[in-house]
Amino acid sequence: MPALPDTVAALIGALNKLPGIGPRSAERIALHLVQAEPAAVENLARAILEARRRVQLCAVCGALTEASPCALCSDPRRDAGLVCVVERATDILSLEKSATYRGKYHVLGGKISPLNGVEPEDLRIAELERRLEAEPIREVIIALGTDVEGDATSFYLARRLARPRLKVTRIAHGLPAGSGLEFADEITLSRALEGRREIE
Amino acid sequence: MHLAHLRLRDFRNYPRLDVDFAPGFHLLLGDNAQGKTNILEAIYLIATLRSFRGVGGAQMVRHGQKGYFVGSHIIGQGEHDTKMYWSVRERSLSLDGRPVRKLTDYLGVLRTVVFCTEDLLLVKGPGRGRRRFLDLLLTQTYPGYLPLLQRYTRALRSRNALLKQAAADPRALEGFSRELVSAGQEITRLRRELVPRLSPLARLAYRRISNDAEELRIEYAPSVRQDFAVELAQSQPRERTCRMTVIGPHRDEVQLLLKDRSAAEFGSEGQKRTLAIALKMAQAEYLTGIHGSPPVLLIDDVMGELDAKRRGGLLPLLERAHHAHGQVFMTATEENWPRELAGQVQRWTVKAGALERG
Ligand SMILES: Nc1ncnc2c1ncn2[C@@H]1O[C@H](COP(=O)(O)OP(=O)(O)OP(=O)(O)O)[C@@H](O)[C@H]1O
Ligand SMILES: [Mg+2]
Ligand SMILES: [Zn+2]
Repeated sequence: MPALPDTVAALIGALNKLPGIGPRSAERIALHLVQAEPAAVENLARAILEARRRVQLCAVCGALTEASPCALCSDPRRDAGLVCVVERATDILSLEKSATYRGKYHVLGGKISPLNGVEPEDLRIAELERRLEAEPIREVIIALGTDVEGDATSFYLARRLARPRLKVTRIAHGLPAGSGLEFADEITLSRALEGRREIE
Repeated sequence: MHLAHLRLRDFRNYPRLDVDFAPGFHLLLGDNAQGKTNILEAIYLIATLRSFRGVGGAQMVRHGQKGYFVGSHIIGQGEHDTKMYWSVRERSLSLDGRPVRKLTDYLGVLRTVVFCTEDLLLVKGPGRGRRRFLDLLLTQTYPGYLPLLQRYTRALRSRNALLKQAAADPRALEGFSRELVSAGQEITRLRRELVPRLSPLARLAYRRISNDAEELRIEYAPSVRQDFAVELAQSQPRERTCRMTVIGPHRDEVQLLLKDRSAAEFGSEGQKRTLAIALKMAQAEYLTGIHGSPPVLLIDDVMGELDAKRRGGLLPLLERAHHAHGQVFMTATEENWPRELAGQVQRWTVKAGALERG
């Protein structure tokens, strides 16, 4: 087979870096794109650029948003006394799908992981502490995965956030052991939220 | 339970092998360096996903090839197909055509006990080997054990990484300590329950195959005496100097005693070898007791090393496996195979990476 043009090879290389796209899919997509209608490809390219240009992290909670503060943070119907702490911005989507939670969110951006060089300072904990000063928060609900790092981080947060008249709870009950939120279905998630417990 | 079919591609010195095995006794005969042990290694690999020679995947790939494939058909309570591929860039494991997501779903499909020269390290070597012996047995009998061990190991490594840092946040350390303690206590409890059940089985096996009257006893010597959390806190000064976790199940010992004295220190070479075999026999008996059917026994050369009396002691175990529709694979050279088995064995000739009946 004659070698692929350099630009196609470069495109395959770039696609292959995307999550969930292996070398074969990358090749298939690239070959499709270089043979498709130019207008369709331009639309796709524009959509990618536009999305990337507009989407940012909410300065308050860390969610993906086009306007900061995000719609969740500025929605007056949501209970400002409740903040649910999640690992990644995408975890918010899982929890929103379960449609039982009516409070606000805070994205940590990871979990403490000495084996991967992630320390508390690398997470958005100081931001959360600032919110505790500024907002009328009564309860922080920690919704991290139940693997070793998730558990250790939850404990750490409970200690660090402890202050008078603040409840720190943890959802865990019913979540698949040792996993993150992405594996939990909606019913499991809403049960887990209802069954949250205070961390001693 | 038995291995009904074995398929190898580029595994050790086997370019390709497809072979059916009936239940019962299989004697793999051949000159040195023909590939007898390699067959046992492949079967053990199917069962445990490890080599009993303690090597990684790369050593098992046939020289000059990219990766190996090991597949099997196993008949036990149900029937299962396993497929495993390993190369530097790619690994895959499937059970009944589906990728294996959790190891606990896979382990247990085939249970084996191997008898090999490396077993001597169980007696003579460092504690790691004896802990691994307990861990393997618990993994084979208690579904929750492997995840527990993985959790413990993860917490331990995380904690050690924090202890190496100059100024780690003490609250972060405490978070991992709690994980270490909760998994560690459970591991200690399970090991503590196992050893007294194993000890009489090993004593009986030892008596059966040994020429001496000394009593064998196995004793669990846990690193944690009573309360892991308290003792971990007390170990803090030592932790600070060593910069790692100095107590916990990863420091447990298993003492092998002959007439109340350490076999490693005071036993003769012959006693140590007999003891190693007795431990493996105890493992096989224990698994049979728990699961109601014997594991597949893989016996590498050891029979040849034993004198007639000690060989005789092993026979009942082999015969029992035979009667329960179990399976035994035994390697030997033409000169040293145990002729007392002549009546019931299925003979195979192993020559330069190929297997032939008869
Ligand atoms: N990765 C590999 N690729 C190709 N050949 C290998 C590989 N690893 C080992 N071998 C070959 O396999 C043979 C050894 O096989 P094995 O250990 O099964 O021998 P054996 O029949 O058990 O011999 P013995 O009676 O001495 O124990 C040797 O010829 C060795 O060179
Ligand atoms: Mg050999
Ligand atoms: Zn927001």
